Amino acid sequence: MTYHFQFRDVLAYWPSLLDGIAITLMLAVSGMAGGLLVGIVGAAARLYGPRPLRLLAVAYVEAIRNTPLLVQLFLVFFGLPQVGVRLDAPVAAIATLIVNVGAYATEIVRAGLQAIPRTQLEAGHALGLSGIQVFRHIVLVPALRMMFPALASQFTLLLLATSVVSFISVEDLFHTASIIESRTFRDFEVYTVIGVVYLAMALACRGGFALLYRLAFGRR
Amino acid sequence: MALVEIADVTKRFGPLTVLDGISLEVERGEIIAIIGRSGSGKSTLLRCINGLEPIQSGRIVVDGVTVNDPKTDLRRLRQRVGIVFQSYNLFPHLSVARNITLAPTVAKGMPEREALELARDVLRRVGLEDKLSAYPDQLSGGQQQRVAIARSLAMQPTLMLFDEITSALDPELTGEVIKVLEDMARSGMTMLLVTHEMGFARRFGSRVVFMHAGRIHEQGPAADTLARPRTAELEAFLGAVLH
Amino acid sequence: MIRSFAWIDVLFLVSALRWTLALTAAACVGGGLIGAIVALLRFSRLAPLALLGAMYTQLVQGTPLLVWIFGLYFGLAIFGFPVDAWTAAVAALSVYAGAFLGEIWRGALAAIPKTQWEAGASLGLGFGHQLRYVIAPQALRIATPPTVGFLVQLIKDTSLASTIGFVELTREGQTTTAATFQPFAVYLTVAALYFVLCFPLTEWSRRLERRLHGAR
Repeated sequence: MTYHFQFRDVLAYWPSLLDGIAITLMLAVSGMAGGLLVGIVGAAARLYGPRPLRLLAVAYVEAIRNTPLLVQLFLVFFGLPQVGVRLDAPVAAIATLIVNVGAYATEIVRAGLQAIPRTQLEAGHALGLSGIQVFRHIVLVPALRMMFPALASQFTLLLLATSVVSFISVEDLFHTASIIESRTFRDFEVYTVIGVVYLAMALACRGGFALLYRLAFGRR
Repeated sequence: MALVEIADVTKRFGPLTVLDGISLEVERGEIIAIIGRSGSGKSTLLRCINGLEPIQSGRIVVDGVTVNDPKTDLRRLRQRVGIVFQSYNLFPHLSVARNITLAPTVAKGMPEREALELARDVLRRVGLEDKLSAYPDQLSGGQQQRVAIARSLAMQPTLMLFDEITSALDPELTGEVIKVLEDMARSGMTMLLVTHEMGFARRFGSRVVFMHAGRIHEQGPAADTLARPRTAELEAFLGAVLH
Repeated sequence: MIRSFAWIDVLFLVSALRWTLALTAAACVGGGLIGAIVALLRFSRLAPLALLGAMYTQLVQGTPLLVWIFGLYFGLAIFGFPVDAWTAAVAALSVYAGAFLGEIWRGALAAIPKTQWEAGASLGLGFGHQLRYVIAPQALRIATPPTVGFLVQLIKDTSLASTIGFVELTREGQTTTAATFQPFAVYLTVAALYFVLCFPLTEWSRRLERRLHGAR
């Protein structure tokens, strides 16, 4: 029995696909933004905080990095209500993503700040600059330049990883795929189309970030 | 027939012409010291001789084999031309013995036992027979360079190329390497050296070739040319180097 | 009949770990094979081969693992090649791992200085011999820390096999939750089990990294 490809059936659902794309992007952007803030706080705690705070930061990072995102999601959405914290699916999804990205961002920001050699700081102080001035003029830009590629690739990874939220019924792109599949039964076409869409988004991100990097940090 | 025939060779790196119509012949047993400022093309010339760098025009023939012919099997040519680099380039993950026996066993199919004997032999020639099972990072710069020389000798080449082999060494370590070069010279090996070691050039060199701006500016018998330079550029160069 | 979350359930969860490990091991073999091929392709001097390797890497790294899992499990079935959850999961994980491992190993090969290639070539060694005796052994040392680090990622990714019904640790967690109605305790235990598996590897990778860069 031969199989006839029918992409048209799937592509007819393009409004749903667009909705799914929008949700996915929203999840990724809010996850990244929140995660970056958490990362900055975490890195600061890790580098400059008192010992208990530093240990807490380390524990947080290690706990997140050594457990799967799916399990974290289930813990937040299914587990927390048991201890009194009841979150809607979209809120649970974003919260989990922020906490997840936050751990990776902590490490990235920490590495970026630590990459500035002590000798640079000493030179700054020796010239009579204050702590804040040293940070702003000597540390910040090189550190950002250092962190940018890692953060950019983290965003792309996040964009693809948001697909797990479909399993707590958040209507992202992957969830849309299941809906279309249940209506058309065109499994192969559905997942091919979804794959292409994700790929297009990922490539667009990569290209966009590369351009941004060149504009912001390019050689004069 | 000369061992090395370089005829009207031109080499460019993009817009930059590094070798500009070089012609040179080297007879068997000759020891040629190639001297000149950085950027004069000396190292590039050496690297063209064993095919590490391609040339844009001209011809290089080594022991009857045309190096720049695309049909030439460079691999087999390189088994007959030894080259020692400024940064030794020993294989850090292999012992001294294995560094030396690798090419003879793998490329020439020599049996392990014979190769090991050969390794002992060449190490004796460079004065390091007790370092057979040592690793490169356990050796000093001078010792590593001598192992590099031994490694090339193990392939029993007809021609040896040396690319500033003492330039990266601390002064007190160059003596041991020069001694190896002197032994090699006495044994009749054909040697082309890009070098700053004027003492060695004067004592053992048959000819000195002075390169300037990609051309052979002056050449002649070693001791003579170094003592009585005919061109202003060579005189200036020697003045700067020998002060 | 709801039962309470007891030690027996913890034991069930621990036994499900076997399948997590089995998936990881199988994906290592499959992914390792693909990764080696991809790394060599991308390192090849023939442009079409290098391009093939690059395109594979871009494709796989630009699509979610879930798409591969679902695509292979449901998509192939429609074609008339029904695959069971294990096969689909292993295949998807292998494809995924192959791209990332290929990238890591290509990077390690590229990190070996050109002078090592030249030294080998100058002694009369061909490309194959150079790769086998001089370059690859050195690249192996450089590749080990990131490879171990990726292993951790792979273990975590096996959790996605639960979505097509394969009974590894996460799936067992879902089943246990349904039976005990204690999602918090259950998923916390599941997370702890993954942690016990992953953390030692993460630490080992860090130690290898330090030894590699501190040794000089």
